[in-house]
Amino acid sequence: MPIIDVRNLGKTYRTIEKENGVKGAVKALFRPQYREKVAVHDLNFQIEAGEIVGYIGVNGAGKSTTIKMLTGILYPTTGSVSVLGHDPQRERVANARNIGVVFGQRSQLWWDLALIESLNLVANIYEVEPSRYKQLLSHFSEVLELDEILKTPIRSMSLGQKMRAELAATFIHEPKVVYLDEPTIGLDVMVKQRIREFIKDYNQTHNTTVMLTTHDLGDIEQLCSRVIIIDAGSKVYDGPLNAIKQQFGKFRTITFETNQPIASVNLPPACEQLNLSEFSLEVRFDRSQISASQVATAVMQQLDVADFTLNEPDLESIIKHLYQNPTAYNEVGTRG
Amino acid sequence: MDKLYYRLRIYRSMVSINIKEVLAYNFWFWSQIGAHVLLTIAYISFWKALYSERDSIAGLDMQQTLTYIILARIVMPLVQWGYTQEFGYWIREGTISSELLRPVDFQERIYIGHLTRTFISLVQQLVVVGSLALFVFKISLPTDPLVWLSFLISLLLGCSILFCFDWIFGCIAFYSTEVWGLQVVRGSILLLFSGVLLPLTMLPTELQTIAKWLPFAQSVSVPVSILSGMTPLSNLGSIWLQQLAWLGVMFMLSRLMFNFSVRKITVQGG
Repeated sequence: MPIIDVRNLGKTYRTIEKENGVKGAVKALFRPQYREKVAVHDLNFQIEAGEIVGYIGVNGAGKSTTIKMLTGILYPTTGSVSVLGHDPQRERVANARNIGVVFGQRSQLWWDLALIESLNLVANIYEVEPSRYKQLLSHFSEVLELDEILKTPIRSMSLGQKMRAELAATFIHEPKVVYLDEPTIGLDVMVKQRIREFIKDYNQTHNTTVMLTTHDLGDIEQLCSRVIIIDAGSKVYDGPLNAIKQQFGKFRTITFETNQPIASVNLPPACEQLNLSEFSLEVRFDRSQISASQVATAVMQQLDVADFTLNEPDLESIIKHLYQNPTAYNEVGTRG
Repeated sequence: MDKLYYRLRIYRSMVSINIKEVLAYNFWFWSQIGAHVLLTIAYISFWKALYSERDSIAGLDMQQTLTYIILARIVMPLVQWGYTQEFGYWIREGTISSELLRPVDFQERIYIGHLTRTFISLVQQLVVVGSLALFVFKISLPTDPLVWLSFLISLLLGCSILFCFDWIFGCIAFYSTEVWGLQVVRGSILLLFSGVLLPLTMLPTELQTIAKWLPFAQSVSVPVSILSGMTPLSNLGSIWLQQLAWLGVMFMLSRLMFNFSVRKITVQGG
């Protein structure tokens, strides 16, 4: 049985549309014009126990809206959600006991209180056994390096400290399902790495199900074996991370730097011009059909090339390509 | 038994966290006390000036009015602000999402916090305003513990009624996402109809009727009248019954209103 079961989920927001200026504002007061915005449309997916799923998409794609419906904060317009057999909206309190949520952009801790006070309260609210709490606290203090900040109020913490504090508060009741909404946003490399390791370790030792939204593809590469990509409220890809990589991994790019301004260039088949500026040209090619040296030779016959670099595809460029060319999802095959 | 133990543990830590939150701002704490002292002096001087020309207003002599006013001053900060502001802020800023994610009934949690803050405020007021009244203005406060106990019960009921009212009122923020106006409206109505500013018997009859049908008097005028001796203790039975009825109705309405309007929620950002 899946831990998270999402069926035909949809959310439509209704907003008041105002015309510009004072006149528009007054008009909206008496005769509001509503505009419907579909944030999420007919979403279906199942997540099994112990999976770490990356939930990605551009800003405004509907990621956070989905997470909020899964956690029970937001009521869906259509469809249903079931998390560990609970309806998150109707059984909010029962659902809340099982889950942990981190919103990277807002805090669940008490702004004015020292971290340890907040953690004590969270542990009490979630009815964590005092002895178990002690155990977890010392474990978290070690892996998240909390010792130095336990007595610090949240308001005087740095961003990285705050996120470590959030994670401790989220995991202290040993949730079975964890939603992480951009947990590494704005953090430095060191803190990011520590947080990723923490999540991975916790997932492996507790078989916790994790759903992660992020714009940092490093998070995805290091943590997720499965990704769901959402675009304009609809699911466009759901499958293993490897499938995307293999499919798009056959593409490579070469960047040429020239001595003379580039007028035009004829590319061999299976090549695509990505960027062209005065002294630089970026070409993407399918390595299963043409080799790098063939591309380089063809270009160098036409241009006075000073230097060139060959780039291996990374996930970021693949996703970027996917975002920019929605039809490319079909190429991956397992279109949701 | 276990369940009760956990419940009490949750309450205890909520109470302690609210106390710590209030005390987190030293400056705020002390400046509030300073403001209370100034306002109390101003109020008393005002009423003394009014009484210098006559012996009684609306059947109350100066001593009665002053006692009432002083006691109303003690209660005032308890009811002054409510948390419409906070409610709206949670909705505006999206903090309501973290509030809703806790595995405790949301209203219950806020109620506990609210009572804690009310209690702190009451102690603070009793010390500051009470000692001013006793030592500076020589106004005698009641000494009968039974009167105090009745007052406290009636105050607790009154504050709970007002809590439910504020809850209903705060729910409007789900629709308006703007609360400053709401807060101002609430403040002005409360000032006039709760009996904070002057004893309700001094209002014109029409306004007195309106005050009777609003919940505000339950939180100030009713308990303060008990403490100031305007309401004889023999009336307590009917007063408490009335307050309980108010509380029952307001509580049901507040639950309904919240369950209905929480569907409207649109958490900002992200």
